[in-house]
Amino acid sequence: MKKIQHTGVIREYDLHAPAVKAGYGFVIFLCCLAVIVAVFPLIWVTLAGFKDLKEFLSSTSIFPKSFSLEPFAVTWNQLGITKNYLNSLISVAGSVICALIFNGLLGYGLGILKPKGYGVVKKLVTLSLLMPATISIVPLFMNIQKLGLGSSFLPLWLSFGANAMYVILFMQFFESLPRSIIEASRIDGCSQLQTFFRIVLPLSKPICVVVAIFAINAAWSDFLLPYLVLRGTPKETVMVRLFKFSTEQTVNEDTMMRSVVFSMIPPIILFFIFQKQLTENSVSVGIKG
Amino acid sequence: MSAGKESRIRTHARLRENVTSWLIMVPGLLLMLFFVWEPLFESVRMSLYKTRNVELVRFIGLDNFVSVVSKDDFMQALVNTFSYTFWSLLLGFGLPVLLAILINETTRGKGLFRTAVYLPNMLPGLAVIILWSAFFSGGKSGVLNILIGRLGIPPQSYLTRSEWVIPIIILIATWKGAGATALIYMAGMAGISPELYEAAAIDGATVRQRVFHILLPAVRKLAGTLLILQIISVFQIMYEPMVLTKGGPDNASLSLMQLMWQYAFGGSMNYGKASAVAVIVTLILLVMTAIYSFFNRRESDWE
Repeated sequence: MKKIQHTGVIREYDLHAPAVKAGYGFVIFLCCLAVIVAVFPLIWVTLAGFKDLKEFLSSTSIFPKSFSLEPFAVTWNQLGITKNYLNSLISVAGSVICALIFNGLLGYGLGILKPKGYGVVKKLVTLSLLMPATISIVPLFMNIQKLGLGSSFLPLWLSFGANAMYVILFMQFFESLPRSIIEASRIDGCSQLQTFFRIVLPLSKPICVVVAIFAINAAWSDFLLPYLVLRGTPKETVMVRLFKFSTEQTVNEDTMMRSVVFSMIPPIILFFIFQKQLTENSVSVGIKG
Repeated sequence: MSAGKESRIRTHARLRENVTSWLIMVPGLLLMLFFVWEPLFESVRMSLYKTRNVELVRFIGLDNFVSVVSKDDFMQALVNTFSYTFWSLLLGFGLPVLLAILINETTRGKGLFRTAVYLPNMLPGLAVIILWSAFFSGGKSGVLNILIGRLGIPPQSYLTRSEWVIPIIILIATWKGAGATALIYMAGMAGISPELYEAAAIDGATVRQRVFHILLPAVRKLAGTLLILQIISVFQIMYEPMVLTKGGPDNASLSLMQLMWQYAFGGSMNYGKASAVAVIVTLILLVMTAIYSFFNRRESDWE
């Protein structure tokens, strides 16, 4: 078994001093407090979902009177959430594919191929990282309408193919690959594209997983552009529905809380499957920008 | 003769390689152009035109800007947006550093702490806002009121008080983001060699001295980068007040980007004026980024 080692400022021998030991206890206490603050709202909203409207508005208890799943089932069916879930799934799937292919290829060009003049593109992509994203939503929406792409998933999918952060993540990962392998493949007569699919991609599983998780989560949570593009069509996603509930106030508060729970289930599942990648891998990759 | 031919073939091959490489990048570049770069230029152009629906009617110079700025709600939104930034730096900048230092010290349960504080960041932002709106709801069934009721304090109303609404929105945003930022700091702290601490300890440095003279200086550069990213993101705050308070009470939480959204999609479809607001926000951000990088360069000159 691996010995537990102190990684922090406080070293093992410090703990002999009672003051430091007490301080260390306080550190643990604060960490536990942080965990409670982070998790409590989620537990609360789930519990609140069990309450009906009358109980929700009048009860001063955090726990519901009964733990019957019926209110959830009723809300799910009443609002027809199944359809929204399917739409979200379609939107997420296309977005992830676009995020991997387009950003991956651009990252490959900037990180490995480096054709003449690539520096300009690299600068532009890095600058886009600093450019506020929501600011261009108005002209973007106009462009989409002009092209007749309104009420279609296509612009939402493709928008994930133009993410400066994903490009940079790919680029940095590709730059870290040993050049000799890539050169060997070129000498063996592989074209640039063949090298990408046969050599680079199989070596890039870690970064693909990270970008895919980011993209899945972002595509699921996105609602501004999806709202503008899909509102009023049968293609509304879960988040678009939720946004409409919150701005148009067409549903009661208890129903709203259950919808919130529905919208959080997939990200939470994703989180528990990939928590290791999310809390270790991605972060150390992400900061090198 | 043959050497010349060979070099010509090589140049030819180089050229072909360059062309293929660019072709590989073209799909991604086209998407960047369509979704990121062109809209940015388009919003500058549109801000100078009178618009009707998606059409540009005629060039009107800075009229959109004048008309947007001269309205009362613009000044209110501008002040509010700076207020958001102020509160965000006050509540949200130091907290991730503190969290990172604390979790970095733990040995057992470190994985649990990391996982738990990162969790809120995975949740959809919209769901988070709606969830917290029930927390701060004013009736006796609002969660915060239930909690303070246990301490014997009578129910309060929160989101209807103009002086509380911005700090509350920032508090929610901090709840969502602080853990993820803390993990970035932790990655930076993991790069510090434990030998540094040991050497300092042998020299008699206390735990506090080690924090202030080894740990914090090591993440200072990272903190600078995260600072500017935080300012950029909080300056674009939009859907949070839109959903939580609709900008109220009495425009007390109206943000600049929310004003932009209202011009564009709030019924009047005035894309020209909306773009004018967007351009103003972009300019402010550009100036702030420039100031930051100026000071940053000065500092690194001294080092």
